Amino acid sequence: MNSNKLNIWFLSSLLVSLLVIIPIITVSISFFEETSRYFEILKSTFLFEYILNSLLLLIGVLILTFILGVGASYLVSFYEFPGVNFFKWALILSFAIPPYIYAYSLFAFFDNYGTAFTILKTLFGEGEFNQHIPKFDGMFGLILSISFSLYAYVYILGRSSFLYQSQNLIELGKNLGFSKFKSFFFIILPASRPAIVAGLSLVAMETLAEFGAVDFFSVNTLTTGIYNAWITFDDLAFANRISFFLLLFIFILFLTEKLSRKKAKYHLDSRGGFKQKEKIKLSGINSFFAFLFCFLLFFFSFLFPLSQMVYWTIKFPENFFDVNVINLLLNTLYLVTLSSIVLIFFALLSNYGNRVSKNKTLNFLSTLSISGYAIPGVILAVAFITFIAWFDNNIIKSLGFLSIKKIFIGSILGLIIVYFIRFYSLAFNGIKSGYEKINFSVDESAYLLGYSKRKTFFNIHIPYLRNSLLFVIILISLEIIRELPITLVLRPFNFETFATTAYISASEDMLEAAAVPSLFLILIAAFFITISSKYILKDNNE
Amino acid sequence: MKKISISALILSLFVSTFAIANEVNIFNARHYKADAELYSKFTAATGIKVNLINGKAGALEKRMIEEGADSAADLYITADAGRCGAFKAKGMTQAGLVSPTIKSSVPKNFRTTHWVGVAKRARIVYYAPERVSGAELSGLTYESLADPKWKGRIAIRASSNIYNKSLVASLVKNNGKKAAGEWAKGVVANMARDPKGNDRAQIMAVAAGEADIAVANTYYLALMLSGNKGAEQQAAAKKVKAFFPNQNDRGTHMNISCAALVKGAPNKANAIALVDYLLSPEAQEHFTNNTFEFPMISGVSPNPLVVNNLGLDFKQDLTTSVASYGDKQADALEVMTAAGWK
Repeated sequence: MNSNKLNIWFLSSLLVSLLVIIPIITVSISFFEETSRYFEILKSTFLFEYILNSLLLLIGVLILTFILGVGASYLVSFYEFPGVNFFKWALILSFAIPPYIYAYSLFAFFDNYGTAFTILKTLFGEGEFNQHIPKFDGMFGLILSISFSLYAYVYILGRSSFLYQSQNLIELGKNLGFSKFKSFFFIILPASRPAIVAGLSLVAMETLAEFGAVDFFSVNTLTTGIYNAWITFDDLAFANRISFFLLLFIFILFLTEKLSRKKAKYHLDSRGGFKQKEKIKLSGINSFFAFLFCFLLFFFSFLFPLSQMVYWTIKFPENFFDVNVINLLLNTLYLVTLSSIVLIFFALLSNYGNRVSKNKTLNFLSTLSISGYAIPGVILAVAFITFIAWFDNNIIKSLGFLSIKKIFIGSILGLIIVYFIRFYSLAFNGIKSGYEKINFSVDESAYLLGYSKRKTFFNIHIPYLRNSLLFVIILISLEIIRELPITLVLRPFNFETFATTAYISASEDMLEAAAVPSLFLILIAAFFITISSKYILKDNNE
Repeated sequence: MKKISISALILSLFVSTFAIANEVNIFNARHYKADAELYSKFTAATGIKVNLINGKAGALEKRMIEEGADSAADLYITADAGRCGAFKAKGMTQAGLVSPTIKSSVPKNFRTTHWVGVAKRARIVYYAPERVSGAELSGLTYESLADPKWKGRIAIRASSNIYNKSLVASLVKNNGKKAAGEWAKGVVANMARDPKGNDRAQIMAVAAGEADIAVANTYYLALMLSGNKGAEQQAAAKKVKAFFPNQNDRGTHMNISCAALVKGAPNKANAIALVDYLLSPEAQEHFTNNTFEFPMISGVSPNPLVVNNLGLDFKQDLTTSVASYGDKQADALEVMTAAGWK
């Protein structure tokens, strides 16, 4: 065994793991630090409120995403009705709407003198409509915003699981004399449980990490609590203490997801011998309801926020010229390019290392290094600044060097490092699934032909992995286009993205001005989703 | 060789350019389009480049604190005296924001040597004329908002809002913490709904009939009346009237947009030059006509929308130093939170 080469993979995996561990350790150490006493009593009340609100939010979102996601995937996978092929694809477009943009639209539409008021006034003339328009804000608005934006996780995983449910199972239900309804609840749903749970845990993690929408509706959850403790109470230790609770929540979800994933995989792989089922053709009223469900879901999750943004852009055209679209686009592409290069480089190295060495420690480190995705961006950003400030004050300066803060805080480098921690799992898992499809015999044949390991990697693996790499780049792009808290906290001077521009306008009472950057964000994200939909919605697992 | 040049190229993508330039670095919590236009004009006039980092005030302050002496920040511009004051109390600002222009144009009450007000606003009461009579309003003070006659009729923002913190801080300063605590409880009991939304949302709640009176800053009504926020809000704004509280005693609560000189500012002279520019008649006129604030300097008139709809002839509270908003901020938040003010 060539230990020299192993070292490179080992070191790079170690480096990545260390990067991910830093925020977790920073948070954990601070948990035991004394927090300032000033608001001691108030703080315990707040902590209770944060936990309660986070739980309420989580439960609300999980119920709603379950109904929407499972309902849609069930209809689209098992039945034939008008528009089904369109909806199959269109229902993932909701990924292009981050929860905070959904929140802006929802609030603006139903607000006093908002869009709904304008519509009613146009239809019926002057009137006291405001009192009769329901108000979607606070916790309820938040649950709606997050659910309509995230249900697609459940939809995608649910659908891929339904697709491989054997016809046998469906027929079993028929033979037992079950109604469609009963078959669904007693046969189809239990069989797909692992996939649905996996989807729901992703939703749960994203919900707990959500910052923009929660901040907009001023609901105090653990995530905004961290931010407020840090900023309002000036108490980093308290912020980190809340983070600790949040991480505990997330750790549980992470484990749930991992365990379900394993089962989901088992489920998918065992499909051999089952025949791909044929869809049941719906007719009459059933067909209409199936269509209506999907249409309304598509309308509320995508068309509604999109049209609110288009409406504002048209109504307040002067805002259009205040946004330097080219500049924002270039900044976004710049971040995407750099992040993709770094993420893919390390993810390839690590995956290749795992493939040729089969080293247990290496494997463990890789698993550890992908856990960054579960940590909310706010925590990562705060912990990163805490760590750099500590490192700089205690180590760099005591050794007599110049401060390194400027290199890491408020720089592109710092931004990329934290993106890296947060999105490494996307790159790692994306490439891993690509590698899993390359049979080991391919490597062996290559060596027999006299290929070096390097040549095998560049001439054989890379071409095989091309599609996976492309998909990884698209996923990274989607995440970075929508990313808010990390960019907000760490970005350099004169540097904005579509997300930060929208957020700042919205937070400064200029919601209309948030429309232009939001609109571009949606369109670009939708473009990326469209070109990658074939991978997201793969009909067979090859 | 090729590899080296590629690595160098990639590396260079990461390294921000640290060129020494004629510039001023602003941590900016005011995101009006008008401000950005002013900065461009300043650059055109002086050749000094203005670098901006935009964000919410709290987050910006935090970043400057963490960056410490290594921060590139020269000026911190934000829309509340309480913020500038609290930032100074943290030892994050430095003395030296002094110039002949500042001395001659900014009243003493609106500046310290660490920070300077560049525009003014008042926090006032808006009411629905068809539901609130003149007699009911007569002699209204901030203190009397706690009067049970307003039960279920007041719309006001959350306690986390800085304008409210500063208003309540001024009450702590004038009446003491205990009285302010009682007052906060009274106001909470009088609220028409749980606090939500921004200042404009409070005004619209009055227009829509959700509340009878609202507390909000002066420029919001002018902004709505200007039509910049759409025809619906313009119409809504016409349904409410403005009232200036405490006219028979200390005067109406005043606040400022302020610029603070950050400790360790690398471009101090440029920072002072920028503040001088913001206080020039040209810049002040630009403020008043775009953000609808009151000018800081004399000789510039507020926008006609402000003059005609709010009036100019009101007594400003010039006895309560705006610097006290920062000193009493923690007390203010404490009494509001204790009163159950969301």
